[in-house]
Amino acid sequence: MSAIIEIKNVSKEFRVLNRREGLKGSLKDLFSRDYKTVRAVDNISMTIQQGEIVGYLGPNGAGKSTTIKMMTGVLEPTSGEILVGGNVPYKNRTKNAQEIGVVFGQRSQLWWALPLVESFRILKDIYQIPDEKYESILKLYRSLVDIEPLLHKPVRQMSLGQRTLSDILAAFLHDPKTVFLDEPTIGLDVAMKSRIRTLIHALNKERNTTVILTTHDMGDVDALCRRIVIIDKGRMLYDNDIGHLKSFFGSYRTLKLRMDGGLKEQAKLVQKELPGFSVSADDEWISVLVDEEKAKIMDVLGKLQHSFNIRDMQLEEISTEDVIKKIYEEGVQ
Amino acid sequence: MKRKGLGFYAKIYCKILAQDLKSKMSYRADFIISTVGMICTNIAGFISFWILFRNFPSINGWSYYEMLFLYGFSLVSLTPVQCFFDNNWSLRQNVYTGDFIKYCFRPINTFFYYQSEVFDIKGLGQLAFGLGTLIYSWIKIGLGFTPLMLLKTVVFMITASLIMIAMQNAAAATCFWIQNSFYVLDLAFRFKDYAKYPITIFSPVFRFIFTFLMPIAFIAYYPSLVILRPDKVPVLSWLSPVIGIAFFWLSYKIWMHGAKNYSGTGS
Repeated sequence: MSAIIEIKNVSKEFRVLNRREGLKGSLKDLFSRDYKTVRAVDNISMTIQQGEIVGYLGPNGAGKSTTIKMMTGVLEPTSGEILVGGNVPYKNRTKNAQEIGVVFGQRSQLWWALPLVESFRILKDIYQIPDEKYESILKLYRSLVDIEPLLHKPVRQMSLGQRTLSDILAAFLHDPKTVFLDEPTIGLDVAMKSRIRTLIHALNKERNTTVILTTHDMGDVDALCRRIVIIDKGRMLYDNDIGHLKSFFGSYRTLKLRMDGGLKEQAKLVQKELPGFSVSADDEWISVLVDEEKAKIMDVLGKLQHSFNIRDMQLEEISTEDVIKKIYEEGVQ
Repeated sequence: MKRKGLGFYAKIYCKILAQDLKSKMSYRADFIISTVGMICTNIAGFISFWILFRNFPSINGWSYYEMLFLYGFSLVSLTPVQCFFDNNWSLRQNVYTGDFIKYCFRPINTFFYYQSEVFDIKGLGQLAFGLGTLIYSWIKIGLGFTPLMLLKTVVFMITASLIMIAMQNAAAATCFWIQNSFYVLDLAFRFKDYAKYPITIFSPVFRFIFTFLMPIAFIAYYPSLVILRPDKVPVLSWLSPVIGIAFFWLSYKIWMHGAKNYSGTGS
């Protein structure tokens, strides 16, 4: 294995205007030179090997997109070094673009009016893919997914799932060394999510393509990634094996309850009943975070059933948000 | 990887163009209605022009047919900007929503990739109308015909097109820096209406503006002088090809500079 992406002490700062409130404030802003510097990415370093699938996680606004934009050459880092396949992305944007693929979950990069196969043919020319290579990748696609119904359908007539699938196929078409997938399963149904995950997994296996995956869906991470990197507020919080992370938080389950009476008030009573647990309530559910190594779900439920009238319940995995929140609050040993 | 020269880009453009036309034909009603609309717009423009000249047989020494020549010339030279650079109108929207970022990920020139995406076929109706007007006035004025005149006409038409394209590129590119750039683009586009009149009818202030600041006088007036008044062609007319290329290059640089500094929206 060899390193495909090397990031050394990379930071990215943005200069934003300090905005004032109100109409008068806006008028003043017109002439203001009062800027503040925001660090979107703060001193991040990592090395990614050819063929790895890395889950790049973090809450909204953590700096994920900024990092990806720097790796794809759209943004220039304020300081630090980035090498993607030996290229400095910002300086050799075109050369770098030839060797990477990018998919944004909600933004199709295909030609809207054209059938998929015509988009493929244009991409074949743009990336100068030789005929035999093009044929062989199409053959691979045929063996992985049922692409025939997609090939002759204009992209604008596709469902979101079909479009995402097509975008992923298009991103792998020129056999890039690295593919960046930004929330590829956002808004998709369960069956489609699973198809997309299988496809990404297979393409990574067949072509040894490095995949950098951003997502909020723990299911994506479980299905695809062995290694995850977590950032928040621009800083790196975690970079290691996912098994390692699960050993910290894998024993956590969220017990969701619905009961008679106002949920907010009931949640307070539940908290009293269960000191030491994290209890919260939203419009629909009361959530209790249970560490199964310390307490059995059934015991917790039994205890609550004595004092409360429980109408409905659900058991959920700890969410990415919860993991990140816990990591951010408590740190990682 | 082979070097990406003119041939490479020409091939890709033709491919995208062919596909685009194919898909446009599938919206037949849309195609017919927009073509009819374009013809109506041109006829309406022509009628107001004709009414004007029924009352004034000449304007500032310019006869009816000479004015018609200018009109036709400007229509033809406005065709390329209409056909090939129409996507400039969507630039603001693309930048605002963040969709523009997709143009930054391909290993080809961003400006080319962006403009190649839309070919506006309606421009062809304008081209036909403009050519008709031009030929009709050419015959009526009795200009005669030599291959050299044809060559001059073609060269100066390309020049004029380049200037109009440059103005639109530069105006569209303002969206990389300001939010409400639509007004800039719209203004630049509206100014083209003044291109079909001889610049001598304007006051000196506007003459200066239209020559040096918003060079619309180069869209029809200065180039046409080479054909219409070959005995007294001002220096500016001969300079117009150079000015056209310079303006186009400058606008391309501005556009690309904006695109390079584009950082997108959060996702």
